[in-house]
Amino acid sequence: MTDTSARHAILERIQNATRSDQNVYAALPRDYVQRGSLDARGRQELMMERLREYGANVVECPAGDVQATIAHQLRLSGRHVFVVPPDLPGDWLVDGFSWKVDNHLSYEEIEQCEGVVTGASAGIADSGTIVLHHKETEGRRVISLLPDFHLCILGASQIVETLPEYFARCPEPPSLATLISGPSATADIEMTRIKGVHGPRFLSVIIARENG
Amino acid sequence: MSAPIMDPRIAPPFPAAALPILQNAQLRKNVAHATDVIQAKRNFLVSEKRDWQQLRTAAAAIRAHSLANLGTYLEQFEGRCTAAGGTVHWARDAAEARSIIIAILREENATEVIKIKTMTSAEIQLNPALEAAGIHAIETDLAELILQLGEDEGSHIVVPALHVNRRQVREIFARRMDLPELADDPEALTAAARAYLRRKFLSVPTAISGANFLIAENGSVAIVESEGNGRMCLTLPRTLITLAGIEKVVPRFQDLEVLLQVLARSATGERMNPYTSLWSGVTPGDGPQRFHVVLLDNGRSEILGRKVERQTLQCIRCAACLNTCPVYRQTGGHAYGSPYAGPIGAILTPQLEHMQHGQSLPYASSLCGACYEVCPVKINIPEVLIELRAQVVNQERAQAARWFDPMFLGMKAANFAFAGAGRFRIAQKLGRLGLRFFTGKDGWIHRLPSIGGRWTISRDLRAFPDQSFREWWSARETDRSKETK
Repeated sequence: MTDTSARHAILERIQNATRSDQNVYAALPRDYVQRGSLDARGRQELMMERLREYGANVVECPAGDVQATIAHQLRLSGRHVFVVPPDLPGDWLVDGFSWKVDNHLSYEEIEQCEGVVTGASAGIADSGTIVLHHKETEGRRVISLLPDFHLCILGASQIVETLPEYFARCPEPPSLATLISGPSATADIEMTRIKGVHGPRFLSVIIARENG
Repeated sequence: MSAPIMDPRIAPPFPAAALPILQNAQLRKNVAHATDVIQAKRNFLVSEKRDWQQLRTAAAAIRAHSLANLGTYLEQFEGRCTAAGGTVHWARDAAEARSIIIAILREENATEVIKIKTMTSAEIQLNPALEAAGIHAIETDLAELILQLGEDEGSHIVVPALHVNRRQVREIFARRMDLPELADDPEALTAAARAYLRRKFLSVPTAISGANFLIAENGSVAIVESEGNGRMCLTLPRTLITLAGIEKVVPRFQDLEVLLQVLARSATGERMNPYTSLWSGVTPGDGPQRFHVVLLDNGRSEILGRKVERQTLQCIRCAACLNTCPVYRQTGGHAYGSPYAGPIGAILTPQLEHMQHGQSLPYASSLCGACYEVCPVKINIPEVLIELRAQVVNQERAQAARWFDPMFLGMKAANFAFAGAGRFRIAQKLGRLGLRFFTGKDGWIHRLPSIGGRWTISRDLRAFPDQSFREWWSARETDRSKETK
């Protein structure tokens, strides 16, 4: 189906247009801020502040209290049925809730879940961004999309201050990535920001401190 | 009001299209409010970013580098995307892109397709072509849905329905979604759109998207959005078609560390947009299992070959130039007669039309330079505007009818007069004599004939002084030399 004559014609036109100018990627100017200046505590505080500005709910806890904090946050959400990726740590599936493990669940089954609980690949404090690479503890893209409530557990050591620091941690580009900065939103009607259009309307984040 | 004409081949010239809009007080109020809000947010977030100018420099350099090596990066993108399970198609022009997309959808037996907002699809006028082929396109971006249901056209690159207010949205939704009780607060209107589209997301198996960036390094595509309608379209369907201009490619994943920072701040005045999705080809068990990319030229390779105009292709469609433009802020987008409005539209549209249509657009600017100042990839829009104006003038020169055009004759005369000091002095003298006929007793010229009348229709002109500065100066020098003797 692919018409090779179009490909040749376009590439030839590009070749003719750019014949005289080549420049070197390594020589591109990169004088912008690469690394932040905050310590671990500062990064975490900035992350929390920025998430709250987006209207997300965010709490922190020592690593040992993650289970209890999950239970508390889920009770506060008033929801009961949660979908989770197959590789989420078993002890995060706390008692008192109904857990649907995503082993090829249908869209309808996921749609019926009231929330989703996932891990994350990184947090970027400067913009309050959570990054999912949709690996083991993060699950397929669909599970963090259809349910209306997303609880995300982020390790404090996963938080970087600046966007370039996140990219520096990814020598190999991920084949899937979703960068989430607050709940779904729109300002299409009179520039009034409305939380929650199609993606989860409620974003809740637990930041787990590894030591102390 | 009837739907505006957004096809540059048949749209009226900018001044004619702008005139009725300038009399539409409601529309102007809506546009002024929206552009004020976005600009204030953008300015605040740019001022907090101490490395903003360094980010702009880097972003401009990455985009310029991508263009200078476009062939290499497109071939790399094609190879990596194909290896990851995608299919890459090439389209020389709009018609070819439309037929590729329709052929894929026919193979899928599609009768409906869900769409993420894409400027490129508006550029190739995809929706009418789909309808003609019996495929109903469903716009899923809130603003695009408002326009589609209201049979209206977009007037802004990022917030295309900014000319419509909440009462107008309520009226459209109530009528088209059959919700007579619908309230007119944005919250209720957004909820109505959510419910309306949810069924479609879960049932329509084919989707069309644009692309913010194509990444050569691993063949992935990046989409930047706010609502989550994009994620729905990119995740739920069986088949996904991405339509992208060839200029969208960047070398590496890491380049997004610059481009995402400048894009969100410039486009919506946010530190980061709610959702950015990246995917490479097909991922087994996750998302669409059939993925097509259509790479569209449609005049871009021609722009690439021109020295001054090439920078037009650096654009990342943030629309900051629209929000700041004193012309756009008065007229809104419909006057531009093209999906691409504002300063970037004024340079992009005529070029995409091979300078055969949209020739009035390079004049839809005061050349104040505000667009250049806010552009996150440093496109010198005024420079390109002037270059395009020169081309339009050259086209006009070739036309025989020009000898009846007073503007042309005036310019010719000025060109002759300004070419030498002697001629200029004579012209001054003749001008002083000629204008005496039109000068009132009060020392002001109130009305001039022919094209001069366009000036005096709204302003008075002071009478020419009896002496030019040079005459006064030489007379003074003569007097002095007499005195010293």
